[in-house]
Amino acid sequence: MGKVVFDVQYQTTLAFLISYYFYCTGLSAGSFMISTLSYGFGMSKFKPASKMGVVAAVLLLLLAPQFLLMQVGWPIKSVWNHFVYFNPVSAMSYGAFLLMLYPMNSIVYGIFMFKGNMKMTKIFGLIGIPLALAVHGYTGWILALGVARDYWNTGLMPIVFLFSAMVSGISMMILLIMVRDRFFTKEKVINHELIDSLAKLLGWLLVVDLFLVFCDYSVLLYSKLEAQEVAHFMLFGKMSFWFVIVENLIGKVIPMVIVMIPGMRKSYFWLILAALMNMCGILAMRIVTVYGGQALPLM
Amino acid sequence: MSNPHKSKNKDLPRWGMVIDLDRCVGCHTCEIACKIENDVPLGIWRSWVKEIEKGKYPNVVRSFRPTLCNHCENPVCVKVCPVNAAWQREDGIVMVDPHLCVGCRYCMSSCPYEVRYVHPTKGMIDKCDLCSTRVDAGLKPSCVEACPSSARVFGNLNDARSEVSKLVATKAVSTLKPEMGTGPRVYYIGLDPATMEIKREAKLVWEK
Repeated sequence: MGKVVFDVQYQTTLAFLISYYFYCTGLSAGSFMISTLSYGFGMSKFKPASKMGVVAAVLLLLLAPQFLLMQVGWPIKSVWNHFVYFNPVSAMSYGAFLLMLYPMNSIVYGIFMFKGNMKMTKIFGLIGIPLALAVHGYTGWILALGVARDYWNTGLMPIVFLFSAMVSGISMMILLIMVRDRFFTKEKVINHELIDSLAKLLGWLLVVDLFLVFCDYSVLLYSKLEAQEVAHFMLFGKMSFWFVIVENLIGKVIPMVIVMIPGMRKSYFWLILAALMNMCGILAMRIVTVYGGQALPLM
Repeated sequence: MSNPHKSKNKDLPRWGMVIDLDRCVGCHTCEIACKIENDVPLGIWRSWVKEIEKGKYPNVVRSFRPTLCNHCENPVCVKVCPVNAAWQREDGIVMVDPHLCVGCRYCMSSCPYEVRYVHPTKGMIDKCDLCSTRVDAGLKPSCVEACPSSARVFGNLNDARSEVSKLVATKAVSTLKPEMGTGPRVYYIGLDPATMEIKREAKLVWEK
């Protein structure tokens, strides 16, 4: 109704660096899950992916906090203060502990796996699963507890983050395993059975992910005014290209169709395309959620 | 150990503010007084006046909404701060401890009133502290002091005889976003809801 003559623009705070941090922890958690499928849960068909998974998980989780440290104003002070001035009601307080515990556990798990100690591998793998869920679930949880933003403030947020983490982690694993098998093994033959079961898993996780997005948006569109505004901003406003086209169409729907059709799934060209599109789409999802969620002024 | 800001003194006042918008003329003096008093850098405001225009020429009216930190009873920023840098004094003023703040910006994105900002040279969060140094010295905050039409009234909400308590008790006051459960202690008389409308569009980072 009114035309704004003067107002102060909010400094958008948690922008791209945080999106990259979420993306890296997501990839890490996803690849860790794949790696524990065989040792932790006895799904032996995923065994060739285990070592690759744990190496990728550790490396990505060493990379992820660097974005976080670049984002904060006082990086060294932040590490110290997080431990000394712990605030038990802040979601972010727990992140410092998780970001230390999870890579340490993954390294121990990886060492036992490479040494061939099956029993210890299973124990540390099973400890690692809740840690991996926590380290990525908590990134969604941080946003969910940022109560001012209706786009973030939903109990679905940690679950949406977990599913997008698994989806992007599997896509990355498909690509990494193809590269490893094709170029860095003696036989130079891609393990087709493994790739095919990962692709099937990717397809079903994408279905769940799309369902969660649908649930989230249907609630936003029926909810109070601010939620409706942000849903319109995402679906029809300036964010719509990134949300509708890049995140959901390119990142989720097209890869889902590709891996659901057996003929296309068997073709490496289509599968590589689907995995790449999905990884780009999940990166767009992080940016849309973190940046787009706070782009609208609140008052 | 974890919270260095706890104290037990209960006989302190509870500072609050009433802004009478029937008196506000939209001169932005409070904004400037705040900038001068607190040395606020360019492009950033601790307190500002949102100004909107309603209607169609020649039937046009302007509404104002002076905005500052609400010094909530139950502040979200204090809850979410991972290092206890956002803290609340016993007299209700919400402060930022520059020795503890690491500039993670979580409080900024959690504040429903968007009153926090990143200080461009210090790299940490800054916001309105109700001119706590002036208040401790027995003075009024500089925005209250500077207001030419006495639209801003500052005082002790615990004291039933203070002017703020009387205004809160007798006038139809409203607060910003009561639904957030934060309990703001900045009250408005005659607040125009149109000044709180949300725009559906925003300027994105890559458009600047």
